[in-house]
Amino acid sequence: MTRKALISVSLVAALGIILVLGYLAGRTFRDPARAITVAGMTVLEPASPLPEFRLYDQNNQVFDRTRLQGKWSYVFFGYTHCPDICPTTLVVLRDVQKIAGGKERDIQYVFISVDPERDNAATLKRYLPYFHPEFIGATGGQGELMRLTRALGAYYESGEARNGSYEVHHSAAIFLIDPEARLRGLFAGPHDAARLAQGLQRLKGG
Amino acid sequence: MAQYKNFAVGVMLMMTCLLAVADSTVVVRDAWVREAPPGALVLAAYFTLENQGSKADKLVAVLCPDFDKVEIHATEIRNGVARMIALDALPIPPHAVVKLAPGGQHLMLHRPRRALTAGMRIKLELRFDSGARLTVLAPVRRAESGAVHQH
Repeated sequence: MTRKALISVSLVAALGIILVLGYLAGRTFRDPARAITVAGMTVLEPASPLPEFRLYDQNNQVFDRTRLQGKWSYVFFGYTHCPDICPTTLVVLRDVQKIAGGKERDIQYVFISVDPERDNAATLKRYLPYFHPEFIGATGGQGELMRLTRALGAYYESGEARNGSYEVHHSAAIFLIDPEARLRGLFAGPHDAARLAQGLQRLKGG
Repeated sequence: MAQYKNFAVGVMLMMTCLLAVADSTVVVRDAWVREAPPGALVLAAYFTLENQGSKADKLVAVLCPDFDKVEIHATEIRNGVARMIALDALPIPPHAVVKLAPGGQHLMLHRPRRALTAGMRIKLELRFDSGARLTVLAPVRRAESGAVHQH
């Protein structure tokens, strides 16, 4: 065997060893994404970073990813022409806020309308204070809404028009975003204020 | 004679009405309308129906002068997605209790004709497949989730 051939064989062998070690290390140290459900809350491990998106809040201020940074956020998708499940969920979130004591300045509550044809800043500004004066409402173009909902695994779709009106089908879940704007947990529902509050406490504690 | 005939027809009509009422074996209770935020164009109403008889009936329509339109709806959550389904009728099997409650079956009240706030009473007329009609006064209430009453 020539010296050149020996070097080649050694290099291939070394590369092979590196690949095998790398694979084993990857298997050991880099767990695939996991989702564990405890007491109605599914926890994402690792947390899933959100993409850039651009919506507008009820004061016509930009509501983008930076608005989810520095605080924990409970996020719910709905629309104001929704008489049952949306107000029911917002009342639950109001109670979560009561349980948190209102002293928790590091928690915010965000209602995102997936019906931008009928909901705008003015609609949300009139609608949300009824539930809580500090609730944030936001909406935006379909493309931006789609980008955010897809990243969260949320769904919405306008139903067929009937007698000049239409329903919007939407995820019933409440999403929990961590202060680094990553999806950390989700509650599938039916929603319970105590469980929603405890879920966040558990994440903060661990 | 003609007068007598009119009277007879009147009596018969009255009896038919009484019969229609007597025929109803469905009772309604705990009716309420969920107070909505100012400017909301849709509201929901809830109540419990109990069929005390052995004949099936159906709620087929609800009339309310305070709204442009009333529909019977159900919120369904399938694969995590909430959908509102418009129902043509709500079956009330014999001896069954059918509950309309938040997150489930409800009346969808379209476009209030006046501002409705907690404490007001709304007249609902329930019409059944059997021909029976029930009128109920439903108070407007602010909804609570029931989780934080201990404070």
